[in-house]
Amino acid sequence: MAEVEETLKRIQSQKGVQGIIIVNSEGIPVKTTLDNASTVQYAGLIHQLVMKARSTVRDIDPQNDLTFLRIRSKKNEIMIAPDKDYFLIVIQNPSD
Amino acid sequence: METKKKSSLLPNASSRAMHKSVSGLHPVSQGSRHMLSFTGSHSRRSSIMAGGSSRKHRILEKTTEQAPRKVKVLDDHGHDVAPQQVNEAEPGDMKAKPDRIILDEIFSSSGSDHFKSTSSFSVHAFSSIWSSTLPSSQSTSASLTEDCYSKRDIPINPPASSDVPRKGDNVKHVVTEEMLDEEVYVCLSETEIISLLEIPCTFTSEDADDAEAMKEKNTQYAELCRNRMGNDKYVERSMQTSNGTTKKIRIQTDKVEMVDEGTMASIWDIHDSFCVQNETQKKEKADNIETAVNTIKGHEKRSEKSSSSSTVCTGSTVSSALELEMSENSSNTEANSQLILLSETFEKSLLVMERIVLTNVFQPRLAAYRQLPILEDPDSTVKPGIEEQSDRGSSSSPTLERLWAFSCELTRGHNITCMAWNKDNQDILAVGYGDCDPETQTPGLICCWSLKNPTWPERVFQCKCSVTSLDFSANNPGQLAVGMLDGTLAIYNVQRRNITCITDSSECHKKHLHPVWQVSWTKQEMALSGEDRVEALVAVSADGRVTKWLLSSNGLDCIDLMKLKKSQTLKKKAVENKKKPERIISAMTPGFCVDFHPIDSSIYLAGTSECLIHKCSVSNSQNVLLTYKKHFCPVNHVEWSPFSPDVFLSCSSDWTIQLWKQDCSDPVMSFKSTQRTVSTVRWSPNSSTVFAAINGEMVEIWDLNLNIMLPTVVHRAAAAVTSLLFASGTDCVLVGDTEGEVTVYQLKNLGVGRDKQVESLEDIISFVVSK
Repeated sequence: MAEVEETLKRIQSQKGVQGIIIVNSEGIPVKTTLDNASTVQYAGLIHQLVMKARSTVRDIDPQNDLTFLRIRSKKNEIMIAPDKDYFLIVIQNPSD
Repeated sequence: METKKKSSLLPNASSRAMHKSVSGLHPVSQGSRHMLSFTGSHSRRSSIMAGGSSRKHRILEKTTEQAPRKVKVLDDHGHDVAPQQVNEAEPGDMKAKPDRIILDEIFSSSGSDHFKSTSSFSVHAFSSIWSSTLPSSQSTSASLTEDCYSKRDIPINPPASSDVPRKGDNVKHVVTEEMLDEEVYVCLSETEIISLLEIPCTFTSEDADDAEAMKEKNTQYAELCRNRMGNDKYVERSMQTSNGTTKKIRIQTDKVEMVDEGTMASIWDIHDSFCVQNETQKKEKADNIETAVNTIKGHEKRSEKSSSSSTVCTGSTVSSALELEMSENSSNTEANSQLILLSETFEKSLLVMERIVLTNVFQPRLAAYRQLPILEDPDSTVKPGIEEQSDRGSSSSPTLERLWAFSCELTRGHNITCMAWNKDNQDILAVGYGDCDPETQTPGLICCWSLKNPTWPERVFQCKCSVTSLDFSANNPGQLAVGMLDGTLAIYNVQRRNITCITDSSECHKKHLHPVWQVSWTKQEMALSGEDRVEALVAVSADGRVTKWLLSSNGLDCIDLMKLKKSQTLKKKAVENKKKPERIISAMTPGFCVDFHPIDSSIYLAGTSECLIHKCSVSNSQNVLLTYKKHFCPVNHVEWSPFSPDVFLSCSSDWTIQLWKQDCSDPVMSFKSTQRTVSTVRWSPNSSTVFAAINGEMVEIWDLNLNIMLPTVVHRAAAAVTSLLFASGTDCVLVGDTEGEVTVYQLKNLGVGRDKQVESLEDIISFVVSK
């Protein structure tokens, strides 16, 4: 447990990282470093996107599965590590 | 009652039928009385009917006897031409006759046939039919008769009389030969006719004998009916029954909730359900019945808890295991979050995420390391103009460019003593930390860094003693051999999250008691049965022994490959001084470095603190093959050239680097550029003429193609540099310093300035030698 906390802290302290959100399988944020409104917004929207992405990958080949999703936008990059039970979302602006 | 019956010619079959049925319910004794009367009327009617059908036959009146069952139809000649029964009488029937009398009298019909059963069912049935309805028309009576006739067709169970079991018993007799030969007499007789239904005609013909009597009766009856109104004999009475008050009962039920549920069966959904179904089938087969019951019970409980709502679910809901998981998640959010955070997959995700975040941060530098194009961030807010200026500023001469440094809080302040690349995964670097001073007993540290994460080591391990040397095994890439300051040699397994010590040499009685200065895994010549060449762990220690360690069942065990003895000249001096105790104690000289020949692994070099380099053989543990003498200070490092098999480099505390050829006991070339101890010298794996050396705070890169007198690149590091390592596959150099940082430098522009053709080392050497 302590290791997990440490790793989260390290990620948070990296250059440009704006926030970390951990969402459970139903879309409820479990842990977050952002404010509540943003967290809920991110969680809800990203949940749908990941579901769609995953179903896309699996429709093409059911034995395949989505392992990572990165969305690069003008202002920042959203990195999502999806899993059966949770999503790990990190928002980073690398040029900061 | 009787008179009514006899006189009536009106088609009032129903009333007559009623009477019949009523009497039918009477007990037997009464039935017999009525039987007589019935018989009479019955026979007459039957005779009438028969007469109606064919006028030829004259029907005799039946006498009132016990058994007037048979209808005797006589023709003109007096022959009995009553229709015979189709079925043959069974022997048991005779006895059952008294029981059947009642039925026969009640039910009579002209065409009655083979019903032998006396089921009370039919009696009651008929009575019920006739009592319940009071039809006033003939049609309904006809329909009744039809019903009754149809009832006849219903197979009626044979009576539970004594006949049936008896018949059954007879079958089980043993049949003997004599019995078969016997003559058996079979009597066939007709059973009595059972009449089940007779609805006699209510008409009589004019020609009948008693037609006159009938007519009289009819007129009498009609008169009676007419007189009935004011007659005292007849009283009409009406009754009123109270109808019970009706009551309304209302029942209220819960609204039947309709749930809309839709599922999208996508390709992967079907695939998932199929896989999970297979898994649960396997599980159920393997599990006990008890556990299966438990899961079912648990599932039921959870299904009660779940609320119904209209959902469109895209997940599969096939197995109960899945549903259990889902409901488990929904029940407790807090426990759920703990569960997530502690799960293994989450740790992996975190690891991957951290690395990805870092690649974003370190992307330019890592790309330079891997010699990949640096991706320009198109949305970067940093002005590219500044970068260009800095680029222009740097000259195009060979330089060392600092890429990044492996360092973290854990390692800050520690002195790096050794570094080693993993033989299998070129991204993993093991770094050993510790003090080289035997006086201070600082605990050592081993960190395994990955190139993908320069900010935090993948593995951290605290040793009880300072680490002096490291080497990864080639056969088992997860094994790391560690030599320590107190002479302990240990092998660690770094594959798991927690570094575990496989074994160490503390129990070996032949262990080193002095610092182990170098460990090295070498492959032996002999390939055993076609497998990978066996690896041997060789260590050189300050006690002068070169030992080969073997992993046995008890732990590590070693054999001495060589004892680095002091040279003869020194010994002689000792003898002259007649200091015997000294001789015994210091018969051996500390060895600082050992290097096995890259091709012929039975030959190795050992550098000693005696300033000598010995070329030894594995097979000869007593004598050295050759001694190289040039240095006048302890030899710090020897290394064979990876390109030229006969050439090796050595560096020493006497500020020099010497280049030797194997068979020549004098160095071919020597390099001196500083006035400090050269602690390490390494060949470059990419270029045959390039090697690097460190002294003090400087990192020197020598390129013999360019200049054999001076180093090509001299770089000043931030802190005193203690270890050096080349990175294979890329032109980068790793430098470890006393501050606990491993800095990665990239060699740039090394090819610049080579105006002439790149010459191999051999050519250079021959060129130099020829001079």
